[in-house]
Amino acid sequence: MIGEIAHFLSLSAAVLLILILIFNVFFSFNKIHSNQLTLSLRLFNQACFLVFVSFGMYIYLAISDDFSIVYIASHSNSQLPVFYKVTSIWSAHEGSMFLWIVFLTGWSILFLNSLNKNHPLKRLTLLMLSLIILGFMLFLLITSNPFERILPFGVIEGADINPILQDPALAIHPPMLYLGYVGFVIAFSYITAYLFNGDFELQWEQDIKNWSFVAWIFLTIGITLGSWWAYYELGWGGYWFWDPVENVALMPWLASTAFMHSLFASSKSNVLKAWTMFLGILIFSLSLFGAFIVRSGIIDSVHSFANDPERGLYLLGFSGFISLLAMGIFAYRIPSLNSSKLVVIGSKESFLSMNNILMITSIFSIFLGVTYPLIIESISGDKVSIGPPYYNTIFAPIILIASIFIMISVDAAWQRSMSLRNISLTAAIPSVFSLIITYVVWYATGIFSILAYIGIFSGLLILTSYFVRVINNLFNNRFINKGSAIAHIGLGLLFFVVSMNSILSYEKNLNISLDQTVAVDESVTAFSFDDIKVIKASNHDIISAEVSIRQDGKNVLLNPQKRKYITRGQITSESAIQATILKDTYLTIGDQLENGSWTFSLKINYFIKWIWISSALMVLGMLITIFKQKTS
Amino acid sequence: MNLIFRFLIIIVPILILVFFTKVLLIDEDNKLINFESKIFPEFEMRDLNGNQVSAQSLSGIKILNVWASWCITCLVEHPFLSQLSEKNIEIVGLNYKDTDSKAIAWLQKHGNPYIFSIYDPRGDLAFDLGVTGAPETFLIFDNEIIAHVQGEINQQKWESIFLPLINNNQDQS
Repeated sequence: MIGEIAHFLSLSAAVLLILILIFNVFFSFNKIHSNQLTLSLRLFNQACFLVFVSFGMYIYLAISDDFSIVYIASHSNSQLPVFYKVTSIWSAHEGSMFLWIVFLTGWSILFLNSLNKNHPLKRLTLLMLSLIILGFMLFLLITSNPFERILPFGVIEGADINPILQDPALAIHPPMLYLGYVGFVIAFSYITAYLFNGDFELQWEQDIKNWSFVAWIFLTIGITLGSWWAYYELGWGGYWFWDPVENVALMPWLASTAFMHSLFASSKSNVLKAWTMFLGILIFSLSLFGAFIVRSGIIDSVHSFANDPERGLYLLGFSGFISLLAMGIFAYRIPSLNSSKLVVIGSKESFLSMNNILMITSIFSIFLGVTYPLIIESISGDKVSIGPPYYNTIFAPIILIASIFIMISVDAAWQRSMSLRNISLTAAIPSVFSLIITYVVWYATGIFSILAYIGIFSGLLILTSYFVRVINNLFNNRFINKGSAIAHIGLGLLFFVVSMNSILSYEKNLNISLDQTVAVDESVTAFSFDDIKVIKASNHDIISAEVSIRQDGKNVLLNPQKRKYITRGQITSESAIQATILKDTYLTIGDQLENGSWTFSLKINYFIKWIWISSALMVLGMLITIFKQKTS
Repeated sequence: MNLIFRFLIIIVPILILVFFTKVLLIDEDNKLINFESKIFPEFEMRDLNGNQVSAQSLSGIKILNVWASWCITCLVEHPFLSQLSEKNIEIVGLNYKDTDSKAIAWLQKHGNPYIFSIYDPRGDLAFDLGVTGAPETFLIFDNEIIAHVQGEINQQKWESIFLPLINNNQDQS
């Protein structure tokens, strides 16, 4: 019964949104009545409220184990802790779409109600948001109904959540990511409303600035958590795989990063307005594209949901319509958008816009990497895959150029040109230092990889130039933008540690019998396989190995496991990780061979922790930026 | 310059849209064409009633459905299989990683749409078939696997994947 009520509430919300749209389109031909906005907003608030209540009831259904609902029966289980019963809602397509809509309505209702009562763009923004929410509501209710019942009788026990999803990091990774993706709907709708409205005297940057910054924080956290989960849970020993679905999350991230930079320039010095708008529209369009890629099953990946062409067509049609609507009005308005001022070459905004171009280039390259296999397949029928070599080669030069611009722009001023002499002064110290350190790394490791050294050098350029700045600030009291400095130090650190990781990390595959001890290399001098046992747990069997290794003169005990989940028959691997500040020892147990010995994969991963730290720094930098604005 | 830019902003998304629509529409048909049929692996096993069964038992057009009493989705698709068996379509069960007493009880409780169910407690035959879990459904024509569906089989998948192949093969023979 509760399921039916929740279903009905969602339907009612959709109907209310339709009413808002019809009502406003119909009456916009006459003179706009003063109460029209008040009424629309009231209806909109009610629609959002209905969505929230409906989702709340859905959570209740999941907690109370209502297995007569197909979705809950196939993704939850009465044995699960309550926490995972709730998170099982977003472990597959229907429920996660529902969550997506809840966030969409959440952002929208907060934003609309924070605007002034008679804000000139309020009505159009409301219409745009209603249209987008309605599109997703209909998608949910028509093609992927989470309320569907198993008729005539439900089942007694649910099928269990996919065990690799039973992890705290993963439970919060989708919500964070969605909050980020969806948060940019505000910039998107507001900019579209601005363009439709056609009054270009209005100031719009301030209204959406912080909303976009917060969305960016969620997106960054979401992507990092996903990467963290892949490293700890999937047992592949890597943190980024250039998987199509990771790529479709990275594209909006790059676009939003470019957008924020450009937003600074356009609010500081009134340039790059058209650019900023274009980026604002692009971010959400890319989010929609991501939703399409993941949910149409067009690309096989760990993330993709079941293949369903009907869903794919709907999403494609709808995303296409929304994006084209925005792009169309933008193209139409371009002539009236040109900023009165030109960007001064050598000023801060000139470097900023160069980096925007680089970020657009990266987005385009990733887009090409994602679609190229599809293009080839549709032309010749061959299956090709685009992997890390493509992305590494593309990104190394982009990162190098971007880092040089970041280094110079640290000392550049808004609207004023920087002399060549100043540029060389700024660049001198970081370049020399970075070159020396890069050479030291090369000398110490003896490994050469041109791409990795480009990454190391680029990272160091950013790091050293900000260190120079920090020292100047401490001793000479020169101004430093704290938020920006911390975020960019995070970025430099990321380039540096990722490249270091790629040259230093290595993997050994061992084939070893019980009670045997082998020497692996100079660092791991002894590896002994002490014990293996089978443990029965409530919903899975565990094969647990005990391995002791002697590493760098210290004894370390490792317990890699393999779990077999009874309900699903799925086998997962629990790697044993011994993490230190510098490196992780990552051990995974493989299969038993015919002679009774077992295979192990021993990975030594360098600087993994620093990857998470660097993205935490970027988030921290952003938080400081938001905070500082509020106080000033 | 502006004109080119304006033109590009509109035309590029449209091209992307057209391309993906095309890929989506082709995709499904391609999958059927690209499925490489293979010979059903040899096996000698018992069914749930203890009778000897082998690959020879699978002549003609048969549906092989991988199921288990612990599998929820199997219960979801069960009514549909019953419908098929009422239309005299021969469905062979492959009881996967299950115990025979539970499996027989399950069939007694929910009805038995299978002409017989191969008993595969360790998943040996399932392994040879490349089964990743239950339920999965194979279309077999004279000992040759010509289609394979992972997950729930339903009216829509039946009509779009299996039915055309069955009609095709019946015409040929």
